[in-house]
Amino acid sequence: MGTPVIELRGVTTIYEGERIPAIHEIDLVVERGEFLALIGPNGVGKTTLLETINGLLDHKAGAVRLFGLDVRREGHRLRRRIGYIPQAVSFPELTPFLVRDVVLMARFGRIGLIHRPRAADYRAVERALELVGSAALARRPIGKLSGGQQQKVMLARAMAKEPELLLLDEPFSNLDFVAREEIASTIVRLHEELGLTTLIVLHDLKGLPPCCQRVVLMRAGRIFRDGCPDEVLDPLILAAAYQ
Amino acid sequence: MLLGIFSSTLVGAILAGWSCGLVGAFVVRLNLSSLGFTMSHAAFAGAALGLLLDWDPLLLASLFSLAVAGALGPAAERAKLEPNVIIGITFPLTMALGLIFLRFAPGTALSSTALGLLWGSVLGVTEMELLELAFLSGAMVVLIALFFKEFLAILLDMKLAREAGLNPRPFYYAILFLTGMTVALSLKLIGGLLVFALMINPAATAFQFLHDMKKIILFSPLIGAGAAALGLLGSFAFDLPVGSAIALVSTAGFGLAVALSPKRRRG
Repeated sequence: MGTPVIELRGVTTIYEGERIPAIHEIDLVVERGEFLALIGPNGVGKTTLLETINGLLDHKAGAVRLFGLDVRREGHRLRRRIGYIPQAVSFPELTPFLVRDVVLMARFGRIGLIHRPRAADYRAVERALELVGSAALARRPIGKLSGGQQQKVMLARAMAKEPELLLLDEPFSNLDFVAREEIASTIVRLHEELGLTTLIVLHDLKGLPPCCQRVVLMRAGRIFRDGCPDEVLDPLILAAAYQ
Repeated sequence: MLLGIFSSTLVGAILAGWSCGLVGAFVVRLNLSSLGFTMSHAAFAGAALGLLLDWDPLLLASLFSLAVAGALGPAAERAKLEPNVIIGITFPLTMALGLIFLRFAPGTALSSTALGLLWGSVLGVTEMELLELAFLSGAMVVLIALFFKEFLAILLDMKLAREAGLNPRPFYYAILFLTGMTVALSLKLIGGLLVFALMINPAATAFQFLHDMKKIILFSPLIGAGAAALGLLGSFAFDLPVGSAIALVSTAGFGLAVALSPKRRRG
């Protein structure tokens, strides 16, 4: 087995001005190609854990390594290799950005200061939009799209980085049934076709994709259970976590 | 002589309109209007202090304006202060300080120079001040062109910019710095009370018609320069204070844009 994609050892994150850690002494190792779902009640620290993993939140204690590199030191560089959909992204109607620009911006970090996007960057944007079936939306203003279409654009944005790791924070929130099914099947397809290591935060357990091999259940800022779906989704275990 | 004053003032107005319009696109998109408003009044207080101490008003206006950017920028960025609170506290403070400084300034208390700081003056815009405005306009264009994609990314969303692997903070502070400098250098021509209108109206007008931030960044300074030039002509034609005339023209432009905006039409 090679270097883990994600490796957390004793990680604690505390928000500024607070005393109680949002996540506490988390140990988690995710290997290349895994599809892992992170579940748990509201406020247990799922989003905090995701943002700690990609370095958007600084951790107070422990070590976070991605691809064997320390997130605290290499955060900017590492984030260029991670596709990420933040929780509840929604662009208001008058947001003055076109879809293709929103997707292209995901590559700005890797393009480097002063340099302009090149043909390869525009090709990556086209490919990413095609991958999620949104190529026709490229020249539309992002704010004019429905919630489901915006979420697909965010998925395209994540894929435009040609990522080695996909972090998805409740990608189905605020979506109707049809949009939810569409995005779920796109995520599963991306994982199966590209073997992409995927960590998805889910609020609703019905959204658990069939390709999910591992479920991490959180309770009160800690990992409560970590195992295969059949094991973790036992009604007694869930009742203990959600009570 | 009169033609010389007019042409140099016209150049100054166009440069101020251009700079205010350019920086205004960022201020409007990043919701920094309250900060720009506060900066413009801080610049007025600084310039008034300059008159009192017989120091360069422009230098003190710049320092006051940048001090506001330095103090309130981080607060606004972290959303620890609501925009209304920023205005509510700092606007009366800076206006009060400005008026007190003017009250004790040597010579006639509310001399034409002092009043010019409030609503702009066509007279006395020196060659050096024109050069400073020209340098600022040029420097802004170069800086924004060089780091266009970084600025564009933070205009979409600071968090998404970080997520893309950028470090948005230096660019956010660059916007604050440029806003402070633009306010300070436009102060003499447009006036502390009205420079804010020239910053917000052109950008707000461009936002009515365009869906693409890149185009808004391109058109907002053009609208600003146009409004400043038209306002200046109006001020000469109807013997109005320059700043007031420019503010009226830019506000009329915005009103027209709202009325005609395709974004507001219901399909």
